[in-house]
Amino acid sequence: MEYRSQRIANWYFTIALLLFVLQVMMGLWLLSNYVFTIPQWLVDRFPFATARAMHTNLLVLWMLLGFMGGTYYIVPEETGRDIWSPRLAWLQLVVLVATGVIALAGFAAGWTKGRPLLEIPPPLNYLVVAGALIFLFNVGMTMFKARRWTVIQGVLLGGLVFLALLYLAGIPFYRNEVIDWYYWWWVIHLWVEGAWELVTGAIMAFILMRLTGVDRQVVEKWLYVEIGLFMFTGIAGTGHHYYWIGAPTYWLWVGGIFSALEPIPILLMVIDTMTYVRHRQVQIANPHTWTLALGCAVFHLIGAGVWGFAHTLPQINYYTHGSQVTVSHGHMAFFGAYALLNITVFYFAMPRLKGIEVYKPTLGKIGFWTMSSAMMLMGITFGIAGVLQSYLERVLGMGYMTAQSYMHLWMTVTLVLGVCFFAGVVITVIDLLFPKPAVKPGGA
Amino acid sequence: MTKKSAFWLFFIGTVSSAVIFLGLTWDMHRQVAALSHADKLSDKVVAGKRAFEHYNCNDCHTILGFGGYYAPDLTRVEQRIGAEGIRYRLLHPELAFANAPRKMPQQHIPEGEIDNLVTFLTWVGGIENGDWPPQDSKNRLTRGEQRLVAGAAVSPGAAVFQTKGCMNCHSLNGAGGTFGPALDTIGRNLTMEQIEHYVRDPKSVNPKAMMPPQKELSDREREEVAKFLGNLK
Repeated sequence: MEYRSQRIANWYFTIALLLFVLQVMMGLWLLSNYVFTIPQWLVDRFPFATARAMHTNLLVLWMLLGFMGGTYYIVPEETGRDIWSPRLAWLQLVVLVATGVIALAGFAAGWTKGRPLLEIPPPLNYLVVAGALIFLFNVGMTMFKARRWTVIQGVLLGGLVFLALLYLAGIPFYRNEVIDWYYWWWVIHLWVEGAWELVTGAIMAFILMRLTGVDRQVVEKWLYVEIGLFMFTGIAGTGHHYYWIGAPTYWLWVGGIFSALEPIPILLMVIDTMTYVRHRQVQIANPHTWTLALGCAVFHLIGAGVWGFAHTLPQINYYTHGSQVTVSHGHMAFFGAYALLNITVFYFAMPRLKGIEVYKPTLGKIGFWTMSSAMMLMGITFGIAGVLQSYLERVLGMGYMTAQSYMHLWMTVTLVLGVCFFAGVVITVIDLLFPKPAVKPGGA
Repeated sequence: MTKKSAFWLFFIGTVSSAVIFLGLTWDMHRQVAALSHADKLSDKVVAGKRAFEHYNCNDCHTILGFGGYYAPDLTRVEQRIGAEGIRYRLLHPELAFANAPRKMPQQHIPEGEIDNLVTFLTWVGGIENGDWPPQDSKNRLTRGEQRLVAGAAVSPGAAVFQTKGCMNCHSLNGAGGTFGPALDTIGRNLTMEQIEHYVRDPKSVNPKAMMPPQKELSDREREEVAKFLGNLK
């Protein structure tokens, strides 16, 4: 750690990790709803819908806190000066966490906007916006005062501003359901396949540059190419959500063609990561961090790239749209692209913030491999359930619940895998909260 | 490639994709009124949409394919189970799903809001969205229906059975819903006349019946479906 103000990042990371644990616990409860028959009295008090709102909002909250913490860690090192105002960073954390807590309590009490993933009701939306503005102002001022512009900083700031602007599209009430979904995807799709990719690209580039010592000019050049391809395929690729909402039919073409190209930038990211590691200029002190970075790139490619591609073409999507196939893709993509990215950042920064240059990787390895293999298998079992659903319900025309009864076995297997995943998460979180320095060979 | 040309690749890639996207967004706004029948988008529909959001229906059910995957898609629900079917489930979910492996919460929705919800869901059912979802498509019989037709020999009663939503609760040859009993051998237990009474007013035959009265069927339709079911032995 070179700058005092970087320490604020540790608080963002810690809270993010606790929320991650809560999110996965809520996921296990959701799966139990598929496997067991929940009695009516419990369904009346705590319906699936409420638990789902919590599961997804916790995901968004912990990942955004992770990105923000990551930004507060990276910006001082990139600009060569402390955060403009650590107090504002604190205030922002308090505002966002308080909003999150109120929102979760509100969901439990039935206070919701009722739009999937964007359930946070309007008065709280403005608190989120306030938190985001404080953040952008603080980061912007730090960069502006330093006047040492780098491409990584620019992409990071650009991605964060884009992210905040898109959030606004989800706030108004739309009278027409079609228009409502149209702009809903401006938030959801353009976040995960646009703004978040910019942030990811920048953070990944920074970490790889630091880990491998590869020349900044090379890293930044390829960063431009990656994000250029992400933006080119991702923006018009939003069309793959407009196939069946009552929008004009040309979206079948635009969405189909652009989103078929979406795996290319992710593939490039994997190739870049591997190339940097091969051409590293310095010895890698913490091999586990680059295992994570590489794991993130590869899982990103499988979950977002391959799984996304598999059902993005309209001819296939007609049958798989809104089925457990979507669930399979959603879990693998979010875990691969964004959960692993955050965990990579945490492993890069958290031990260092506690003064540990070389950390003991034993628990971290167990955690990573448990989570990754459990999630990979969950992707497959959700996927099998989804293919069954697509065939039985959509092709054969079986009733919804009849088709679901054939999927029951696979949801049960997924629940078992979910418990394994949860174990991996707990191990990882404990290891990150209490990192141990590596024992030097020879027992010094 | 130099860093400068990489920058231009980024810049041109982003701007060209954004221009296409925003241009088509503008065009979508021109066409959406016709595709969604915005002329029928009354205040009652909007009130129904607000109720739909207030009760968080969308985190269990999908609509236009988006939302929770825990319960059936609602895009064509009015066509599938009819206004009465929707009302019954909203009013008494604890009865409608008493035997089902998944329950729906009893949220004590006032009758007026239920009315608005039905209006909203009916309007959504009219959106021209490329004939999705496939299971509710009118353009093609599903395989299950084809098999049913082939197996039962075509009769007006079989047609009523398929098209009037009976199969949302009942099944034949394994195709259909699971809320109600399978009807493959119903003719062994009930006569044609009993079935006709049952369909008109289930409680008149079986006081414990949970099936709602099928008021939307005409006398002729009721007779035909009873004839069809009474012969399944």
